[in-house]
Amino acid sequence: MLVKRASAQSVNHKVFVRSTKAGNAVKVYREQYLRDDIPCGSQLCTLCAEISVPDAKGDFPVPVLSSAPNSTTKRGPHYVVIDTNVALKAIDLLEHPGCLYDVIVPQIVLEEVRNRSLPIYARLRALTAGHDKRFYVFHNEFRSETHVERTPGESINDRNDRAIRRVAKWYSEHLAKVKKAPQVLLLTNDKKNLELAHKDGINASTLHSYIAEYKDSGDLLDIIPAEESFTKESQTQIYPNYYSSSQILAGIKNGFLHQGKLQISRYNYLEASVHTEAYPKPLLVIGRESMNRAFDGDKVVLEILPKSKWRSPLNNIADEENVDANIAAENDDGQAIVTDEERSILAKDALNAQHHEKVQPTARVVGIMKRNWRFYVGQVAPESVNDKIDSGALRSVFFVPLDKRIPRIRIRSRKPQALVDQRIVVAIDDWPVYSRSPQGHFVRALGEIESKSAETEAILLEHDIEYRPFPKAALDCLPQEGHDWKPGMNDPLFEKRRDLRDLLICSIDPPRCQDIDDALHARELPNGNYQVGVHIADVTHFVKASTPLDAEGALRGTSTYLVDKRIDMLPTLLGTDLCSLRPDVERYAFSVLWELDQNANIVSVEFTKSLIRSRYAFEYEEAQARIDDASQQDDLTKGMRALLKLSKKLKQKRLDAGALNLSSPEVKVMTDSETSDPSSVELKNVVDTMSLVEEFMLLANITVARKIYDAYPQTAMLRRHAAPPATNFDILNDQLRLRGQPQIDLESSKTLADSLDRIQDPNDPYFNTLVRIMATRCMMAAEYFAAGNFAQPEFRHYGLASEIYTHFTSPIRRYADIVAHRQLAGAIGYESLHASHYMKNKLDGICDNINMRHRNAQLAGRASIEYYVGQMLKDNESLQEGYVIRVFSNGFGVLVPRFGLESVVYLQDICNPDEAELDEDTYTLKIMQDGKSRSITVFDTIKVFVKSVKDNKGKRQVKMLLG
Amino acid sequence: MSRFEIYSPEGLRADGRRWNELRHIKCGINTHSKSADGSAVVEMGASKVVCIVQGPQEPETRSRVREKATLSVSVTVAPFSTTERSKHVTNDRRLQEMSANLQNLFEEAVLTHLHPRTEIVCSLTVIAQDGGLLSCCINAMTLALIDAGLPMYEYVSACSVALFDQTPLLDPNNVEETELASVTVGIVGETDKISLLILERRLGLDRLPPALELGVEGCKVLRQVMDKEVRRHGAMRLASRAE
Repeated sequence: MLVKRASAQSVNHKVFVRSTKAGNAVKVYREQYLRDDIPCGSQLCTLCAEISVPDAKGDFPVPVLSSAPNSTTKRGPHYVVIDTNVALKAIDLLEHPGCLYDVIVPQIVLEEVRNRSLPIYARLRALTAGHDKRFYVFHNEFRSETHVERTPGESINDRNDRAIRRVAKWYSEHLAKVKKAPQVLLLTNDKKNLELAHKDGINASTLHSYIAEYKDSGDLLDIIPAEESFTKESQTQIYPNYYSSSQILAGIKNGFLHQGKLQISRYNYLEASVHTEAYPKPLLVIGRESMNRAFDGDKVVLEILPKSKWRSPLNNIADEENVDANIAAENDDGQAIVTDEERSILAKDALNAQHHEKVQPTARVVGIMKRNWRFYVGQVAPESVNDKIDSGALRSVFFVPLDKRIPRIRIRSRKPQALVDQRIVVAIDDWPVYSRSPQGHFVRALGEIESKSAETEAILLEHDIEYRPFPKAALDCLPQEGHDWKPGMNDPLFEKRRDLRDLLICSIDPPRCQDIDDALHARELPNGNYQVGVHIADVTHFVKASTPLDAEGALRGTSTYLVDKRIDMLPTLLGTDLCSLRPDVERYAFSVLWELDQNANIVSVEFTKSLIRSRYAFEYEEAQARIDDASQQDDLTKGMRALLKLSKKLKQKRLDAGALNLSSPEVKVMTDSETSDPSSVELKNVVDTMSLVEEFMLLANITVARKIYDAYPQTAMLRRHAAPPATNFDILNDQLRLRGQPQIDLESSKTLADSLDRIQDPNDPYFNTLVRIMATRCMMAAEYFAAGNFAQPEFRHYGLASEIYTHFTSPIRRYADIVAHRQLAGAIGYESLHASHYMKNKLDGICDNINMRHRNAQLAGRASIEYYVGQMLKDNESLQEGYVIRVFSNGFGVLVPRFGLESVVYLQDICNPDEAELDEDTYTLKIMQDGKSRSITVFDTIKVFVKSVKDNKGKRQVKMLLG
Repeated sequence: MSRFEIYSPEGLRADGRRWNELRHIKCGINTHSKSADGSAVVEMGASKVVCIVQGPQEPETRSRVREKATLSVSVTVAPFSTTERSKHVTNDRRLQEMSANLQNLFEEAVLTHLHPRTEIVCSLTVIAQDGGLLSCCINAMTLALIDAGLPMYEYVSACSVALFDQTPLLDPNNVEETELASVTVGIVGETDKISLLILERRLGLDRLPPALELGVEGCKVLRQVMDKEVRRHGAMRLASRAE
């Protein structure tokens, strides 16, 4: 029978009291149905095969626990039941391919993990979904034999521990009926649980002693997080405790505590700022004690400090390594958290602040709502390793993260010497109040420092980019025919597609482009107008919503381009083959067809899924040459000429409306084709055909944005770029004024564009670009959003001067475009839209993720260029022209356009910092060099000696010295 | 994100049921015999509804005098029926809509033309809510109308189905109902003909058929349960008359 009834005997009532957000207590009553059909998941068990039931699709559960399980020398074959603390603390170890196979995860553990940490829950679930490590979720709460009732007076934790022990016990009894039954071992790091388990006659062990049973346990043991804090108790407390959660809730409600995201300055690790709802300007958090163990990106709760402690932002640069490298890792506890050097920096600043009226309120961290801990990449600080040879005993060493904003992390290792020259990954466990540094554990080594593979992987990890191969479940969603897929194969919607194979379509892309996601055509209509079509690869035909492939794409959010490597959002088969609009093959496309008049005004527009055949794949310069060659008079070339003509009109219209032409110091690293070593750096150059493609892509994006906004006013996937607040430009305008340059006018994007054009230095053609680069940094970042989140006037894309905008034209490499494709397909009635694309909360989640991924991909791309430039400079130290873009009291920032490189020159390297004097009103730094006085002002051109050095921590940095 | 796994990859729901399982059902007929012409209590899981039927009787207002019996339905929700005690709301639009739905549905099922110029007053009181409120009301009303001895074509039974991605989940409880889109399906008798279909959120049309199929099967089971209760009660009445 299709439908079953739960019987009255199986109902169990779960009653508990819970506090609500408002602070009331409510009694919650829930039903729970106990059952007998939950299998144990072992391939050895014959009993459970009989009781298991199929799911909605009719598939029976597959037993995952191997018949020849996990085995150690001491214990022989066994299954492992894990406790919650093991899952929470040692998830890295659970994921490690070297140990822990055939693991039973009790449901209660999964639930507890979910309540404590969603990311770890997701990783645990991923382990149970993939069958290679053979993790099995046993729903102990629902199986009548293992269900445990809470006894009066028992705490929830105790009950849950008891439930876990019950699982272990039940498994060993259950499997006893099987021949050659494996042992069942309970792994727990909780002393009390362990004791009670032994008392009940359950086979139990701590994670540590279990891992020690493995043959090559040395490496594995390093990955285990500290069972208890590294050092003895009775420590002196050096950080203040956090407020209790009720204090925090009440404080936020009353408005004397504020919450926000902590952002640590890139220039000075002792200064952070937090944007809060209550204040227009960010609150400053200065010094270790005020930051109180918070990390960059943590969501923190702040308390404002007394007015006497308010001050202006720090104007010097501080690097943790330069300030306090001399503390030994072993005995750093209990020391005052502020070292003397740090004090002197702070004191100097406080003095400065007093001369100033620009004081800002400061605050200290009193609680942390959400940690932003992730994996950190870096290396072991060599001076913290004392032993010359690894003795195998545990040693505390310092780990220096690549990210300067992250403090040094103390880790313990048995082989610190072996780690010294390695790029390693570390996870954080804890930051107790009595420890100056956070405590973490080693996860894995990426390879030797400065080896290309290790550094590339480090960049990817640091930016949280998923670079592992696509999971099998995702690859299974690809067409089975693979490369031999042809249009029309098993496609019930093929009839709805329009056949556009007779149109003369071509694509124009950068050299050696493989993922061609757009193609164009134009032809003159009898009435003198033009039919113009933009054809975008129809990725959503292959990537259907809510498939594993879609989930993977949504997670990655974007493709990432590094100098020598591309991390795809979608599997290569789609990106460079089935979706790619390559010449002379039939491909599916999503087409936007306009009728444009002679002045490029839209007469009408039409959207359709189509079947096309591109005639030619041009590179930019090749296309330009063909257009310029007057002897070419075929229809394709004529079409391209029409496109170019129309695109120029479109561009003019856009510029008239106030579109901005901003700059970033972009360079391209040319690599040696054989060794792929970087050989030279070039600035990107521009041809007309680039802007041809760009204009039509913008037009397509805008047209599609209007259409999907019409169809889905709440959830259309759009992209906006907010107008920059005028205060962002205060400093830049002030600096321009001192140079005698016209001001940047922020009235509208049009006036901004015009005023940027007016800024010229007749002696220096680069000056305008420099100002554009600096202006770009004052701008807001563009972001994806669901239409319902903003009022329509706020949809505006400031930079493009468009009322509405979305991304539609690169679905192979951006997930936002995939969503836009699906929404457009829904809007034109091609196929119905999946629920996740018209539910606002789901779409908000997608937007948040792709905004973050997009930013990370950009940062990773820049980091990769930076690494290669650094490598190249290794052998080419040179004197270059640079521009001063920022001055501090103890150094100044320099931009070298030749390499698109920005770095800081520290005064201590070139002169006596005590003799330097900073005039903040004129942005001038006066220094004494070789007995001569010299002043350095923002916008100054200076000669700098650029070289790449490996500092004493083994970290390669670009270093600049005054030439 | 919910605090629970709504439907785990192992195929279990937050309360331990599988996709095609109804909650525990308990129903009673003639529960308030002293105070009403017909009465019934239906419990579906932790949801509980009492229905009282008065009539057929003389209509209170002239406007309700028609050539067939007028069904007037009122639904009240006890303030203690949810986890957090709600303030008393009069004229809740949700409840008004529900009454209208119940009225329309039962005017088709009851042979109202046999009792012209009369009124049948049905008052439903929700004692506890844990999802599936409308279906619980429909089932309770069927039993109470039968108890009142009103002629009907067949049993009216209803249950709801929530959709977790592609998987339909039968008889969702409150947690599932707040997380997922759900449809309430009502049928008259043991046919596959759907007399009531209510969907409160958006749902792709392609996902509807499997949900309907499961819902109809669920209704049939509910009909059997109610039929059993009616027969038990009838047998008891017969036995007491024979004494």
